Amino acid sequence: MNSALLSNVVRFIALLLLQFFVMDQVEFMGYICPIVYLLFIVLYPVDNNRWSFLILSFLLGLTVDTFQDTGGAHAAASLTLAFVRPVLLKLIYGEGYLTKNLKIMRSPLDRFILLLALSVLIHHLVLYMLVYFNISQVLQVLQMTLFVGLSSIFMGVVLFVLFGWRSKS
Amino acid sequence: MQQIINFLIKYRNLLLYLSLLLIALVFTIQSHSYHRNSFVHSTGHITGSFLSSRNGVYDYLNLKEENDKLRKENAILRMKALVTADTLLGDETTFLFSNDVPYRVFPARVIKNDYSKRDNFITLDIGVDQGIEPDMGVITTDGILGIIDISNNRFSRVISILNSEVSLNAQIKGSNVIGSLTWDGNEPYTMSLVDVPRLAKVTKGDTIVTGRQSTTFPPDILIGTIKDAVLVENGSRYKIDVALFNDMTDVGTAYVIKSRDIKPIQVIDTLTNAGNE
Repeated sequence: MNSALLSNVVRFIALLLLQFFVMDQVEFMGYICPIVYLLFIVLYPVDNNRWSFLILSFLLGLTVDTFQDTGGAHAAASLTLAFVRPVLLKLIYGEGYLTKNLKIMRSPLDRFILLLALSVLIHHLVLYMLVYFNISQVLQVLQMTLFVGLSSIFMGVVLFVLFGWRSKS
Repeated sequence: MQQIINFLIKYRNLLLYLSLLLIALVFTIQSHSYHRNSFVHSTGHITGSFLSSRNGVYDYLNLKEENDKLRKENAILRMKALVTADTLLGDETTFLFSNDVPYRVFPARVIKNDYSKRDNFITLDIGVDQGIEPDMGVITTDGILGIIDISNNRFSRVISILNSEVSLNAQIKGSNVIGSLTWDGNEPYTMSLVDVPRLAKVTKGDTIVTGRQSTTFPPDILIGTIKDAVLVENGSRYKIDVALFNDMTDVGTAYVIKSRDIKPIQVIDTLTNAGNE
């Protein structure tokens, strides 16, 4: 088993456990639980097979769904994020990110924060639209996306700086 | 044929995305419809044991409050038992412990509780092995909690009263005015009692209890007090805001209630319905 695969497996499991045992219990201000498992999708190696990436993201979301009784909302949100990630990467790291052998772990912190913020926005928007599943509650969807999204971005950056980021300097 | 294969190869990521999205949407829609047996829920063996172990850790944090609650409830039950002993002076009191009681109560621990979503579910650590079946009512020391939705051998999922699919029969204590108790999804401390007739006497501060028409809950289980009431539907009906006694954000122990008479009552109900048609 090579080290890239191993670190991905470890990240998959560690983020799920962190989400389940710690983040779901935070309940900041009564309802804000940061969502950190999407870091797996954000940090997944760029040069890998997209087919397996989509299936893995779907399974990741589905696992969270079984714990939170949300049907398939997390699965759909994770899947959508995985599907649009190439567009986000192109937007943030420029057209030729595939040829430049991009390592997100070693990219500048401001680029990473931008990528994380856009990912969180897309993920949470899809997630809460499906959780509420009611067009008349669109304001609540936006409110949850904003507040939970801010907490997710904060926790994501903290985790990234603590465990992931290896700056070039 | 070649073109079809080329098309499939070219758009294979999009097709995979769409098909997986379709599966996720089907799961989501299933989870939003009441009583459909869904594939994805929190009563599976692996999920359930994970929830149990998480609860094992977090239980220690509020042991004190939980003990206080149970002690208080013990005191109340003791008082009630003493009252029955008094009124039945001379009679045999062993009937209280016979098998033929109208309601059987099963204690359970809450191993997962939600209240911040639109459709909330609770997971209990007892299941079919302990005699739990779908459609039984679940209460706590302070009020009602929900209705059993799915149960497997060791765990059961409860549809919380904080769920858009739930509509319970409730009445104003001391009168026979009934209405349906629903949740509008805003905050976990308030529910609404709808379909209350305009001529009903509604006073602020009155107590709301479970109704006699409910086959899931015993009558006169406390729910909450009237906080506010407005006339809706051109002034023909009241919509009453009910402040719950039960703090839905903090539940540790629950009691599942099995009614002895649920089958006979359902049989009678279907008979009258058939007669009306």
